[in-house]
Amino acid sequence: MAPRILITCAVALLAVALRAQDPLVEALRKYQAGDLPGARSLIDEAVVTDAHARDPEAWLLRGFVYKDFYKSRAGSTEGDAARDTALGSLYRTIELDRDSTYRENAVQAYEFLARSCFNDAAKALTDGNDPRAVELFDAYREAVLRLDPHQDMRARETEFANALGTLYTRRFNEDRTRTEWFEKAADTYRGVLRIDPDNYGANYNLATLFYNMGVYRIRELQAEADIITMQQVQQVAREYFQLALPFMLKAHDMNPARGETLLGLEGIYYSLQDEMNSEKFRRLYEALPPQGER
Amino acid sequence: MRRASPATPLRRLLLALPLLLCSAAQQPRDAEKDTTSILQANYLYNIAKLVEWRDEGMRQGNFIIGVIGGANLYQELIKQYSTRTIGKQPIEVRKLPRSPEVERCHILFVGKSELAVLPELFKRMQGKPTMIITEYAGALEDGAVVNFVKVDNLLKYELSMANARRHGLVVGLTLKNLAHRVEE
Repeated sequence: MAPRILITCAVALLAVALRAQDPLVEALRKYQAGDLPGARSLIDEAVVTDAHARDPEAWLLRGFVYKDFYKSRAGSTEGDAARDTALGSLYRTIELDRDSTYRENAVQAYEFLARSCFNDAAKALTDGNDPRAVELFDAYREAVLRLDPHQDMRARETEFANALGTLYTRRFNEDRTRTEWFEKAADTYRGVLRIDPDNYGANYNLATLFYNMGVYRIRELQAEADIITMQQVQQVAREYFQLALPFMLKAHDMNPARGETLLGLEGIYYSLQDEMNSEKFRRLYEALPPQGER
Repeated sequence: MRRASPATPLRRLLLALPLLLCSAAQQPRDAEKDTTSILQANYLYNIAKLVEWRDEGMRQGNFIIGVIGGANLYQELIKQYSTRTIGKQPIEVRKLPRSPEVERCHILFVGKSELAVLPELFKRMQGKPTMIITEYAGALEDGAVVNFVKVDNLLKYELSMANARRHGLVVGLTLKNLAHRVEE
């Protein structure tokens, strides 16, 4: 009897000892104790071991460790990298978790991180950092589609692209000689309209962009310009006004009571020397009820 | 003496005056975006350079551009051209009241919001060395030398050589060749 007890105890002690050396267990302990660097180092070690390489629990813990690490370094390159790792780990959890034991937790954390990519992209746009915004939006799109390849991204795509187009337009308006911003803005709005031809914002913004370019071309006319030069400039400007017109008309059709499109059409027709139509839209604008009553 | 008969465009235009006066009362257009005024100002400057005033008295002193109506055109002329010269004559831009009593001017622009003064103005300016420039259909028949017209979404001008001669103006070939239409 005594030798059997001794053997059992020895096995139990051995198991405890082995478990104590399991990096997953240690990582969990460190994580619970708030030691993120320690937990990160141990969980990285754990997921490459034979015991845990296909263990959804290990990948879930890694996802949480890196998620918290991202939260502590949000906005930095280190934070971005941590978020990528967290997303990858959580996705691996979902892939390996055949009986969906950890799925709910993993999906919730994954979606939080994906959303944070979108929110950070929006913040980067507000800060005027378009390369970072584009990078983060790409990361957001990739994360969402990885989890659900059939997800309808159109609303988010157009929302982001419209905001990006507005940033490019702002840059162009600040310095009209920088036509690369004009081109980028036009391409961005056109991209929105390829996804959603009925997007009011993109129609209105693209029309306004072309119209302003036409006005700018005429405004930059040198006082000394001779009649031939002036007429050439006028022809170039006319092309922009003609480009603007269908988009402004479309925006107006979508919302006929909107004052900004009525004024936009009035201005475009005026610059196209079409007095009758310019007057028509001016009257429609003036017939609108006061701002507060619309 | 040319007089507007009931069938002339001016007569037709006078009938339409209430409508035009209504539009004149509307909010002024933002000068920064008034492309027509920018183009008209440039045309006026070029026209001034391409026309010769036969009257000796007009070749001295300031080169006066009078504007009746056309608030944005006036602003644009002040902004872009009031420090320039035509030959040796410094340009002076004057905003004139809505009245047919016009002082000495080389060029007098009358905007479409001020058409009511035109019949009397044409009458009073006959034979005087002032180039009247307008912007309504049929203006050359009424006595304008240059009239702005809208063609294919572009602002162009038409020219009456006969009216130019009546005002003692010698129109250069360039101005004539670039006109949309010329009445000999």
